[in-house]
Amino acid sequence: MGKSNDTSAGTGGISGELIRRFQAIVGDDAVLSATDELLVYECDGYVVEKKLPDVVLFPGSTDQVVEIVLACNEFDVPFVPRGAGTSLAGGCLPVGGGVMITLTRMKEILEVNLQDRFAVVEPGLVNLHLTQHLAGTGFHYAPDPSSQGACTIGGNVATNSGGPHTLKYGVTVNHVLGLEVVMPDGRLVELGGATEGLAGYDLTGLFVGSEGTFGICTKVMVRLTRDPVAYRTMLGIFETVGDATRAISSIIGEGIIPAALEMMDQGIVEAVEAAYGFGFPLDAAAVLLMEVDGLEVAVDEEARRIVEICDQAGAREVRRAETQEERQLLWKCRKQAFGAIGRLSPSYCTQDGVVPRTKLPEILEFITAAGERHGVRIVNVFHAGDGNIHPILLFDERDKEQIARVFSASDEILGKCIDLGGSVTGEHGIGVEKISFMDRLFSSDDLEVMGRVRAAFNPKGRCSPAKMLPVAGACGMEHIERSHPGKQAAP
Amino acid sequence: MNDPGKPISRAYDEIVPATASELARLLEKNSSGERRPLLPVGGRTALGFGFPIARESLEVSLGRLDQVLDFPARDMTVTVEAGCRMGILQEQLRQEGQRLPIDIPMAHRATAGGVVACNPGGPRRFGFGTMRDYVIGIGAVTAGGQPFRAGGRVVKNVAGYDLCKLLVGSGGSLAVISEVTFKLKPVAAASALGWACFDQGAMVNDLLTDMSTSQARSVAIELLGPKAARQISAESRQQLPEGPLLVGVGLEGSRAEVDWQAEVVERELRAGGANNVVWKEEAAAVAMWSALTEFQVGAESAVTFRASLRPSRTVEFMTAAIDAGVAVQAHLGNGVVHGHLPDDTLDVGRACSIIKSLRAVAVSGGGQVLIERCEPGWQPELDLWGTARGDWELMAALKKELDPGELLSPGRGIDGARASARPIETNEVGVGG
Ligand SMILES: Cc1cc2nc3c(=O)[nH]c(=O)nc-3n(C[C@H](O)[C@H](O)[C@H](O)COP(=O)(O)OP(=O)(O)OC[C@H]3O[C@@H](n4cnc5c(N)ncnc54)[C@H](O)[C@@H]3O)c2cc1C
Repeated sequence: MGKSNDTSAGTGGISGELIRRFQAIVGDDAVLSATDELLVYECDGYVVEKKLPDVVLFPGSTDQVVEIVLACNEFDVPFVPRGAGTSLAGGCLPVGGGVMITLTRMKEILEVNLQDRFAVVEPGLVNLHLTQHLAGTGFHYAPDPSSQGACTIGGNVATNSGGPHTLKYGVTVNHVLGLEVVMPDGRLVELGGATEGLAGYDLTGLFVGSEGTFGICTKVMVRLTRDPVAYRTMLGIFETVGDATRAISSIIGEGIIPAALEMMDQGIVEAVEAAYGFGFPLDAAAVLLMEVDGLEVAVDEEARRIVEICDQAGAREVRRAETQEERQLLWKCRKQAFGAIGRLSPSYCTQDGVVPRTKLPEILEFITAAGERHGVRIVNVFHAGDGNIHPILLFDERDKEQIARVFSASDEILGKCIDLGGSVTGEHGIGVEKISFMDRLFSSDDLEVMGRVRAAFNPKGRCSPAKMLPVAGACGMEHIERSHPGKQAAP
Repeated sequence: MNDPGKPISRAYDEIVPATASELARLLEKNSSGERRPLLPVGGRTALGFGFPIARESLEVSLGRLDQVLDFPARDMTVTVEAGCRMGILQEQLRQEGQRLPIDIPMAHRATAGGVVACNPGGPRRFGFGTMRDYVIGIGAVTAGGQPFRAGGRVVKNVAGYDLCKLLVGSGGSLAVISEVTFKLKPVAAASALGWACFDQGAMVNDLLTDMSTSQARSVAIELLGPKAARQISAESRQQLPEGPLLVGVGLEGSRAEVDWQAEVVERELRAGGANNVVWKEEAAAVAMWSALTEFQVGAESAVTFRASLRPSRTVEFMTAAIDAGVAVQAHLGNGVVHGHLPDDTLDVGRACSIIKSLRAVAVSGGGQVLIERCEPGWQPELDLWGTARGDWELMAALKKELDPGELLSPGRGIDGARASARPIETNEVGVGG
């Protein structure tokens, strides 16, 4: 990392004195403040809104994070934590500029305790690295977002991430036992811990999913899960999207909870096939990736029932992964589906709505119609078993008119999710992207109470201002203007 | 005796709203008028939970808010009003082949709001987790009468702060819960419990280690001291093996899954040194699950506590408790222990000395001992939650934000604990500890 002691530092808000303070805390090589170096940090996986932070810091220890936060308080500048920056909701957007605290250098696995089934890790650890580290022990860390090769456990905690296998095993919050947090005022607290059922409020559970607005998590204690003894992985091939979604609703409706139940439509299959050549049929309207796991004595029966339900729903064919290699390739295709989208379009915007599982056929029909209405190409790859849809809207970032149509189509789809009794985000978070939906999903009373809860953690609003709740920052942060062209600028 | 069913309130007046908006109006009126302390009341099974202060409390009964509002069985979720009895709810769910897989004591009387607020659990927490894993949506009213919701009715949802987690276990000290949405699981076709005795704690620890890599996936691992074993045997009317340490392993699933796992578990128990394994199935298993759930509220003892330990340090704690004459049950796989002090605990001094010595064992392994019930007036000396922890300040800040006038369940929860706690010692428990 280049030295960046010059005074062209940042885009304004931060004094040379504060930069020097930061350099003293983390060392010169852990401070970025030249505009060209900051460019990478102007957005995360949500590319529609951009804003440069004034400075990016890479602390190497909890103590450094504490000192950084204390300095931010002293100089009255906002700060935002960042992991790998894979957020799809603009969670890392430094609204109003300020300090970005990137935790990727804090990536140690501090403890693995198989007997008591937990591990303690630093927040910058990449999700997949924990599971790789545990390989062969008979245990794994269950939440497996599709981005697990890049995203960090700290980011997962902040967004309460899910993944294909969270259908059966639960999302991040179900696997976090305790946290170490640097509070927005610089105090260090430990929430929860290795023993279950501690007295008092479940602050760990409350912190998970707070999207960086309750403080900076500097250690995570996660629960470890036994590896399943056996799996059966199947690929259901369907002539219509309607047949596929009806099969999903029936599987859940019959009380079967597979380990994973994912859908990919024709558009995404084309891209995945071009990238990985698995042998997916290109003429099928949708495929379902279905996995059951558990005891060897049980998986065949469960798989049989699923095949039967797919047949009844009109599946053309249900294939089985016969070998471990085939299974791994299937999962690779699913988890890297997003990577393949580049073949379809220069930019894309992924939505993250949720509907009750019986409403999947309805929402998918609506998505198709919305795409046609607005002239936007939409492909789908999603966690079907949870009712968590991911319509991916393809567009060209340079074309403002296209962006406007993408927004309109997205808004209609998410509005429909609300109408169907669902939510606008199942796992990616509200961030800045979906903030305008909060007052459709919640009443002003709901939001006011949530605001008070935030005030207990972040009374001055300096930590990740203008996220999650549709009020401009919190007390003291009114001077922070909303970032630029994005859709919240619109009424 | 402090009977949990006995109303704590000395002023026997009650308010009984029929709708959530009536509840909100009542709370609003109280907070802008008389400002009397309020105690939300459901099935009266846990009124003593967390030791609310009795002074002049007005009871707010949720008894008329008892409807199942929405049960879309094919979505596997259910939304109920807070006063809905859990027993009635479970029966309705069962008819659709579903359940909330949480062991709830006195379920026929306990209400949805009450169990969410008090967060009880039982043996099957090992296989299915706890209340926090099942509450996906909540409606509640603040002390000031402001109604609010969080979460929703879908199984996956990260919109807004997860106030469900905040209210689970809050004991009615932050808001009055008016409505809850649970996510559900299918009922199990079969279940069985295998029981075996062990002479020494070390054998049980070795067994626990071996079972942590077992091919079977048990849903409960229980450890009972002799007194608890006798109580649970009597309550379930099931003969159990007798010995110093009784281990029970619970299985659930399809018939084939249970049968196959029973063979595995039997082999493991015998390899661990058990001479005899007794299996309880069908109706006997049902009776056992129930007795294992009721133990925590069953005894009329002077002090009832719950300990929170690492599984690997639980046997050590159990041995110390048994030596002190305490009736103890451990959900061994989770490190959660329920204990009733011996019948001859006649004065608070003796109670304190037992609790103090057990706390020392718990704390040395990173654990905690929490007093759940005791003789009236003993709580100040017993230290309800033990030594203060670093996150209590934050808990108090939340209480202050949501209930600044301290109107809800005063004394219960964090306030009571802070009032009785010793000052903080750093690094007692927690991350990295
Ligand atoms: C291709 C692709 C696939 C994806 N698939 C999934 C999926 O299957 N499931 C899913 O849930 N998500 C998915 N995501 C979204 C994203 O990967 C997750 O939200 C992930 O948890 C973000 O982790 P991160 O380390 O990149 O966090 P970042 O993007 O850096 O940050 C995310 C949020 O967390 C906050 N934050 C980060 N670190 C900390 C910390 N230490 N303390 C406090 N706050 C912090 C940030 O301020 C921000 O609000 C996907 C994204 C991409 C690009």
